[in-house]
Amino acid sequence: MSRPLRLAGLAVFLLAVFLAVPLAIKAAGRTDFYYTLSSVALLAIASSGVWLMFYIGRINIGQGAFALMGGYVSAILVTSAGFSFWLSLPLAGLFCTAVSILVGLPILRLRGVYFAMVTLVLTEVARLLALALPITNGAKGITSIPAPGAIGAFGITLVPAFDTFAERNIAFYYLSTIMMTLCFAALYRLVHSRIGRIFVAMQQNEELASSMGVNVPAMRILAYAISSFLGGVAGAIFIAIAQSIYPSSFTVNDSINFMLNCFVGGLRYVFGPMLGTLVLYFGWDLLFAIGEYQLLIYSGVMVLLMLVLPNGLLSIRFHSWQRSSHKT
Amino acid sequence: MEQVVANGLYLGAQYALVALGLTLIFALMNVLNFAHGQMYVLGGFVTYEIYGQLHLPFVVALLASAITLAVLGGLIERFLFRTVIKRSVREESTMLLAAGIAYFLDAVILLLFGEKQRGVPKIVSGVLRAGDIIMPYDRIVVGGLAILFIVGFILMMQYTKPGRAMRALAQDRIAAQLMGVPVEFYSFLGFALGAMLAGLVGGLLVTITGVNSGIGGPISLKAFLMVMIGGAGVVGGAIAGGFILGMLESVGLTVLHAYGDITYLVIFAALLIFLAIRPNGLMGKPWG
Amino acid sequence: MTPILQVKALTKQFGGLVAVNDVSFDVQPNEILSVIGPNGAGKSTIFKLISSFLRPTRGEVLFKGERISGLAPHIVARKGVVRTFQETTIFKGLTARDSVIVAHHLRSRASLIGYYCETGFARRDEEAFGRSSDEILDFLGLGEVKNEIASNLPHGHLRALGIAIGLAASPQVLLLDEPFAGMNHEETSHAVGLVRAVRQRGVTVLLVEHDMAAVMKISDRIVVINFGSKIAEGTPAQIQQNDRVIEAYLGVEDESIGF
Repeated sequence: MSRPLRLAGLAVFLLAVFLAVPLAIKAAGRTDFYYTLSSVALLAIASSGVWLMFYIGRINIGQGAFALMGGYVSAILVTSAGFSFWLSLPLAGLFCTAVSILVGLPILRLRGVYFAMVTLVLTEVARLLALALPITNGAKGITSIPAPGAIGAFGITLVPAFDTFAERNIAFYYLSTIMMTLCFAALYRLVHSRIGRIFVAMQQNEELASSMGVNVPAMRILAYAISSFLGGVAGAIFIAIAQSIYPSSFTVNDSINFMLNCFVGGLRYVFGPMLGTLVLYFGWDLLFAIGEYQLLIYSGVMVLLMLVLPNGLLSIRFHSWQRSSHKT
Repeated sequence: MEQVVANGLYLGAQYALVALGLTLIFALMNVLNFAHGQMYVLGGFVTYEIYGQLHLPFVVALLASAITLAVLGGLIERFLFRTVIKRSVREESTMLLAAGIAYFLDAVILLLFGEKQRGVPKIVSGVLRAGDIIMPYDRIVVGGLAILFIVGFILMMQYTKPGRAMRALAQDRIAAQLMGVPVEFYSFLGFALGAMLAGLVGGLLVTITGVNSGIGGPISLKAFLMVMIGGAGVVGGAIAGGFILGMLESVGLTVLHAYGDITYLVIFAALLIFLAIRPNGLMGKPWG
Repeated sequence: MTPILQVKALTKQFGGLVAVNDVSFDVQPNEILSVIGPNGAGKSTIFKLISSFLRPTRGEVLFKGERISGLAPHIVARKGVVRTFQETTIFKGLTARDSVIVAHHLRSRASLIGYYCETGFARRDEEAFGRSSDEILDFLGLGEVKNEIASNLPHGHLRALGIAIGLAASPQVLLLDEPFAGMNHEETSHAVGLVRAVRQRGVTVLLVEHDMAAVMKISDRIVVINFGSKIAEGTPAQIQQNDRVIEAYLGVEDESIGF
C-alpha cells in the first residue's frame, strides 16, 4: 500500500473512532454501545498479543491467563495498596511480562499442538490459582474497585477522574480506543521493522533462522513477553470497567475467543485481530436478540466462514489485489 | 489404598478410551479435535434417550451412540475438515474449525437436550466387596467394557487391513499415498472412529456419572491433558495418559481432599514441569 | 597448516541406535571436503553435529581450535560455521532478495531497539544488506529472479538460493547439505561451478553428497562414511582405488558411482 493511501486510511480510522462513533451513538441514544465498543477495543488488544504469537509460529491459547493476571494485579494494587489505577496499569503489564518470561523459557521450545495445549492448561492454572491463593480472595473475588482517578501535573488536570464524567462509559471508551490505537500502531511498526522480518523468518523456518545467526529462543521470548504485556494491560482496563474481578473473569473460552478473533480477521494482517474481534464480539452481541439460538447461529456462521474464507476476512481484499497485479 | 488404585484403574480405562479417539484423529490428520468432549456428551445423551427414556436394552443404546457419533464424525471430516485443509494457507486453521464445531455442537446439544443433568438407571446393581475394596458392579462392567474396547481397538489397528492402512497414514502420509493407500478415505474413517470412541465412553459413563450439556469443554481439556502426558499421536501414549490421569485424579481426590480443590492445580503444575523435561510427552511424536 | 575445523571422535547415539561412531577428520582452510557414503550411513547426522543442530553423545568439534559442539546453533553460525539445508528448507513466502537480506542478520550492527525505531544504524544496515544481497544473488546467477517469491523458484535456483543465504551469513566454513541432489547433468555442472566460486571467495566448503560424479570432480579430499563409521579418507584418486569404499557401494542400485 502506498504511503499517502496508508496515511489516509489512518486518518479515516481516527476520525471514525474518535469522532464519528461518539456522534453516532449520541444521535442514536445507544450509550450501551460505549461499553460494547470498549470491550471490543480491549479484547482486540488481547487478541493482538495472540496474533503476534501466530506471527512467530506459535498457537497461543493462554492469553486469558494473562488478562486475568493483569486484572488481578491492578485490582490488588488499587484496592489493597492504594496505588493509582494509572500506575497499576504498566505494573500489571510488567508483571505479566515477568511471568511470561519464566513460563516461556521451558514451554516456547514446544511447537504446534503441544504448545497450544500447554497454553490452554495455563489459562486453567491461572483460574485455579486465583481460586486458591489468599491474596486474590478466592471465589469471592475483588469487588468495589474504585474508578480510575485523575492524572494531573503541575496543578493541571490532564485526565479528569473517571467518576466525574456524566457517562463513565464514555471515558472508558476513549481510554480503550486510545490504547487500542497505540497498541496496533506499535505492532504495525514492529512487523514492518527488521524485527518483524526476523519473526517472519522464524515462523517460516526456525532452523534456517538459527543457521543465519538469529537467536531464536531469545526472540521467541521477546514475542511472548510483548504478547503477555498486551494481555495484562487489556485485562487490567477491563477490570477497571467492570469494577470487580473473579477467578472466572477470564476463562478458557476467552482464550479460545482471542485466538478465533485472530483467525477470523486473517493471520497475515496486523489489523486482523481488530476486525475479527469487532465481527465476532458484535456478532455475538447482535445475535442476543435471537435468544436460545444465539450460540447455534454464531458458531454456525463461524464454521461457514471457515469453509468459505479459511484465511480470514481480510484475505478477500488482498486476494483481489494480488490477482490484478499478478504478472505471469 | 487399594480402593484408590481400583478407582484409578476404572477411571483410567474410561479416560484411555477418550484419549485414544483424540490421539487417533491427531495421528491421522494432525488435527486437535476441540469438539471431542462434545462428542462424548452427545454419546451420553443418545444412550440416555434410548436406554433411559425408551427403555431399550443398554447394548442397543450403546450401539446407537457409537453409530451416531461415527456418522457425525464422518460427515464432519468429509464436508468440513477436508474442505478447510485443502483451501487454507496455515495449518492452524483446522484448529479454528474444530473450535467452531465444538461451539456448534454445544449449541445443538443444549437445544436438543436442555441444561439439566441427566442420569440413567444402573445397568447392574449391587456392590462387590473384596477385602478392603468396595466396587459397585456397574463400574466393574463399564470398566471391563472399556478395556474390552481398548483391546479391540489395538487388535484392529495391528491386524486388520484398515488398521494397518491407518497406521501407515499416521506414520508417513506421503509414503502411504505413494504405496496406494487411499489417504482421504482413511482420514475419513479414522475421524469417524475417533468420534465413535468418544461417543462410546459417553454412553458408558452416563450410566455412572450421568451427563449434562456443560461438561463437553472440561472433558476436552482432560483429553488434551492425557494426550500431553502420554504423547500425541501414539496409541500407547494415549492409553498411558488415560490411566495416569485416572490414577492422579483418584489419588488426588482422596489424598489432597483435605487441602481443598487443588487436585487439578497440582496435576497441572506437575504437567508443566514434566513437559519442560519431556516436551513430547512419554511417547509422542514431535510436531512439525 | 592448522585445520580450520576438527572433528574428534564424534559419536551420536539415539537410544539404542548408534548413528555416528567415533568419526574423526580435519578440514583444512579453504579446501573443499566432501563427506560421502551410502544412504543412511550417518552423513546428515554428522552434518547436524558439526553445525551444532545436534549434540554429540561423545566427542567434539573444534573450529579454529575452539570447541563449538554443544553450543547453540545461532552462536555457531555467529562464529563462522554456517550450514545450508536441503532444498525444501527456505522461507517460502519471502522473495529471494528478502530471504538473502534477512540472512545478513549476523552482519548487523544496530541493536534491537534500533531495528524497531529504524535508527540511522539500522537504515544504513538495510541499505548495505540490500547491496550485498544483490551482489551475492548476481554472483550465484540469481540476479534475474531476485524479486520472485522463493517458493515459485525452480529447483536449481532454490539450491543456489540456499547457498546465497549461507553466504550472506559471512561464513568461514560453509556446510552444504546435498547441493547437487536431484540435478541433471547440466545443472550439476553449473552447481559445481558455483561451489568452486564460493571457495574462491575464501570460504572453506564442507559438503555432504550422494552424487559421486560431482563429488569426484569438485573435492580436494573426501571422507567416506558407512554405518556411522569412517571407512576411508583421502583424495578422489585414492578413494576411487579404495577397496572398502568399492565394497560399501556395491549392491546399491541406481547409484552412479562415477568411477
